[in-house]
Parts: sequence; C-alpha cells; structure tokens
Amino acid sequence: MRYVHVGTGQLDFAEFYRESKDACLFAVLVSVGDRDVAQDLVDEAFARAWASWRSVSRHPAPAAWVVRVALNASISRWRKRRREVSLPEPGKVAGLAAGQEAADSPLDPRIMAALTRPPARQRQVVTMRLLLDLDTSRTAEVLGISPSAVKAHLARAIATLRSGLIPERQQE
Amino acid sequence: MNDDEVITAVREQRDKVHSHTSVDQIISRGRTVRARRWIPGAVTALAVVAAAGTALALGLAGVLGAAPAHSTDTIRTMAFTLVRHPNGTATLTINRNVLLEPGTLQRDLARDGIRAMITVGRFCSSDPAPAGWTKVMSFPGSPADPGPVRSVVINPAAMPAGTELSFGSFQRANGAAQTSVALIDRRSYTCTSTAPTAPPPDGVMIG
Repeated sequence: MRYVHVGTGQLDFAEFYRESKDACLFAVLVSVGDRDVAQDLVDEAFARAWASWRSVSRHPAPAAWVVRVALNASISRWRKRRREVSLPEPGKVAGLAAGQEAADSPLDPRIMAALTRPPARQRQVVTMRLLLDLDTSRTAEVLGISPSAVKAHLARAIATLRSGLIPERQQE
Repeated sequence: MNDDEVITAVREQRDKVHSHTSVDQIISRGRTVRARRWIPGAVTALAVVAAAGTALALGLAGVLGAAPAHSTDTIRTMAFTLVRHPNGTATLTINRNVLLEPGTLQRDLARDGIRAMITVGRFCSSDPAPAGWTKVMSFPGSPADPGPVRSVVINPAAMPAGTELSFGSFQRANGAAQTSVALIDRRSYTCTSTAPTAPPPDGVMIG
C-alpha cells in the first residue's frame, strides 16, 4: 500500500496521556510482571514522549511507541543488572502465586499468566489490538505486517489465551 | 468460552489497572529528560567556545585556518551508535534487535548536520530519487557480514540542497528491526506502510 505523505496534526500531550496511560501501564505490566517496575518504566517512557512530542505525536500509534520505549528500557535494565526480570513466571504476575484467588487483588493471575503464553509476535498483536485498542490497519502499519497477518496472529493468540483459561474456569 | 468472552476477560483486567502519576509529574520528568540530552551538547558547545577563545587569545586563528572544526564524538543508545569523525562524516550503526526511536535518532543526526526523516512502520522515498546518494552513504565492512549490526557512513556535506535521508524502520516477524535508508527530495516523496523486502534502488537496508 502506498500513499502520499500529507502529515498529521499534533495530538495534545496531556490528552494523549490521560487516554493512554492506564492501557500502556497494563501492557508493560504484562511483560515485566512487577507493578512498581512497570509504573516507573511507563512514567519514564511518557516523559521521553513529552520531551520528543513533536516527532512522537506523528507516530502512527504514539501509545505503541510508549510501550516499546518502556520495554526497551526494561531490556536495558535487565542487561545492566544481569538478572532475569524481563518475563514473569506464569502465575506469578502481579505478585500472585498460581492458583491464588484474586479476591485480595484487582488482577486475575490466571488471565495475567495466560497473556504471557503466546509467542512474541502474537503478544505484540494482542497488545496493539486488545490492550491499546488499535484497529487492524493501524496495528499492521505499526508492526510492518499485513492486515490479514494481524487477524491471523490475533486469532491464534485468542485461541492460546482460551486454552489457558478454560481449564481453570471449568474447575470453578 | 468464545472469542468475545476471552477479549472481554482481557480488557476487564486492563481496565482494573490505573496509573496514578499526574501529567504534571510526567512533564517534570520530561524536563529532566530534556536536560539530560542538553547537558552533553552544552558541555561540547562550551568546550568549542573555550577552545576558540583560547585559539584567538594565542593568535592562532590564522594558523588553524577557517575550516569548520569537527571533533570526534560518539553517541550510544540501545537502538544505534553514532560516531562523528573529524572530517565531518558520521558512522551510524543500527542495532537490529531494537526498534528505532525516531525523535532520538533525528535529533542526534541533526547535531551532526544530517537532515533526516525517521519513521517507524513506514518508509518514504522519492521517484525519481535525487542524484548522488552513493556520495552521501558508504559502507565500511562487508554487507555479507552476518553480525547483529551493520553500519553506514554518512557524509552530510554531499547531501544536495533540498534533500534529506529517509529512515524507515519495520519490525519483522522474528522481532528484529529492519531499517531502509534512502536519499529523498523533501518536496516530493511518497510513503509506504509495507516493509521493503529488498534494499531501495537509491539507498540501503540495515538489519
């Protein structure tokens, strides 16, 4: 697909922040598994977005840029500290052990664990489509893949998520 | 459990998480980010001013000549390394394991006098392409090198007026980044959101 560059109007940073901060935090939390670390990574990424807002606001999906910058920073921290923190153990996301009831926590550890199971590309599509609410064409543009590939990855990811959730739910 | 129920369950989890950091706190932190970027440039500028002042005080300006002064300098980020050479060229090495941050690379290239448009998820090019891109970009080492990074040497002095370099970065299915680079006419170019599968005829592909 080719199109003529026409430029895009700049978003207001404060409005963008209000609308996307929670979704970005959740997307990063799914990957790093620690609420405090995720919060710090996302705050820093939004700060960098503000510092480069003229260019970031023209990104096809600024929220996806924020998540990417936060996860890149997470990798950088991991390399500096030389210890495994980048991906949580299934079932231990948000500090909850597998099987622990979520009554004392706002998050369901089964769903959080299920979100870590799909392969990297499928997780990227889940982040864009389900967590950041990007449409198929915008997701395809950001990831550099075709819209049909986005749909295929999403379908497979949902099937993986379902397989991770159904056994637990059937036990209830 | 059908697809809609899975999607609803995921989004219900998302909607339970809230960031309590205010926008004012983010902007304050953003100012710190800007300051961190500014300090190295300011130190360099002060050093250049101090060196020029010293040269004038010693009466050496005539001996040094009027050629612009370039100091060797290196910027390292997760996504790229940019080395400025005394002859005015710069070597850009892109880490294909990390997607480019457009603002950072654009600003750092501009510091070295390299006009550039950086895009993620799309690539812009001119047809016809401006002449002389081979004078603007050259490659150290072998293109067949299978290492994780590859480099391009950029000579901003060879960039014709009205042109800039277009960097289009895409994330491939394996997660690695692939960046296409071309010289474009700033007044006439088109962009594609389809990742190029081969180097552009008037440029190169890194990654």
